Amino acid sequence: MSRRIAVLVFPGTNSEDETLRLLHDCGGDAHLVHWSRAKTLPSFDAYVLPGGFAYEDRIRAGAIAAHDTAMDHVIAGAQRGKLVFGICNGAQILLEAGLVPGTGPVRLPTAAFTRNGPVAHFVCTHVHVKLNIDPARCAITAALPRGTLIPAWTANGEGRLAADAARLQELQDGNHIAFVYAHPDGSVDDTASPNQSALGVAGLINHNGNILALMPHPERDAWTFNHPDKRRGDDMLATSGGAVLFRSFVEALART
Amino acid sequence: MSTRAVAINLKIPDNAAYTALVTLRRLGIDVAGVERSQIVRFADAPETQALVTAVEKDESLYNPNKHRVTVLEADAPRAGEVWIVQDDAERPVGWRLYRAPGVPASLDLLTQAAERLLCNPAIERAIFPRSHG
Repeated sequence: MSRRIAVLVFPGTNSEDETLRLLHDCGGDAHLVHWSRAKTLPSFDAYVLPGGFAYEDRIRAGAIAAHDTAMDHVIAGAQRGKLVFGICNGAQILLEAGLVPGTGPVRLPTAAFTRNGPVAHFVCTHVHVKLNIDPARCAITAALPRGTLIPAWTANGEGRLAADAARLQELQDGNHIAFVYAHPDGSVDDTASPNQSALGVAGLINHNGNILALMPHPERDAWTFNHPDKRRGDDMLATSGGAVLFRSFVEALART
Repeated sequence: MSTRAVAINLKIPDNAAYTALVTLRRLGIDVAGVERSQIVRFADAPETQALVTAVEKDESLYNPNKHRVTVLEADAPRAGEVWIVQDDAERPVGWRLYRAPGVPASLDLLTQAAERLLCNPAIERAIFPRSHG
């Protein structure tokens, strides 16, 4: 029986269509679920939280959505081991909900994706993120080769990971840093991050490895026509680049 | 001259404050009203009217069609108010909570609201009133 994926839509979510389409193109049985239909969420096997500005980022990015009824179901599912993947604003929601890195109680965040540095401006640029863990550490990345480099677009005003020194150490010690920013050749250094994210973090996972929060958008660099280096003659509608992560997500779901 | 604080509020409906109110109630924090202010602290501030005039001349802070300015009696949160500071200690966001119309929230209620919603301790800190009326 096919595993069903809910793509959650809050008021202000704006990346649900490309997220849904990519999940379909990767073989996923994905459906949009609006916040007002939260009661249907328990019947799904996995959840994807797309990017946008849920509830206009009132109070803080992701703060209101993290307390929405829909997130009650996501939290309950995640605690039972369901896969949860948050992208950009979805990642911010997962951190506000305390699901990622999950080093504190639920809904009491221990880290945040917050205002970019060095200047608190919106940053929209092409980036590469590199898998920084053993792929098997996270179910969602399990089908990726070690050190996979994924192209993506970052588009946010609040994508810089911040936490106090002890919490950052906890992220390193617990192997929570799933993705770091990298240069196109795969090298990693302090200049690879577009926003001064702490430890160069682009994506975090929880302790059990069933929840991934990723700030850049791989779904916006997932068909050939999205790629900055596309060439005449390429199959523009072929899935590629960022699609590998979604394929790995769908494969992980099939294994559950 | 000393440090003084002004609160800049929306005089049109504040959707963010309303959303905070609804969310706090959903969390079981029983508040009757929420007001949100941009707090701006001025070192070596002039007397009250000159301070108001200076704020009203700053288009990055004040729009006469949307905002009202209140000079605070002290450089500290008012009764029922918590200031949330992120990067800039001179520009906190003030959340003023009421447990009934016109009755400021208790410190206990404020603390709950800050811990459970208004303040992310990973990146922010909450400043509470020194005393409550």
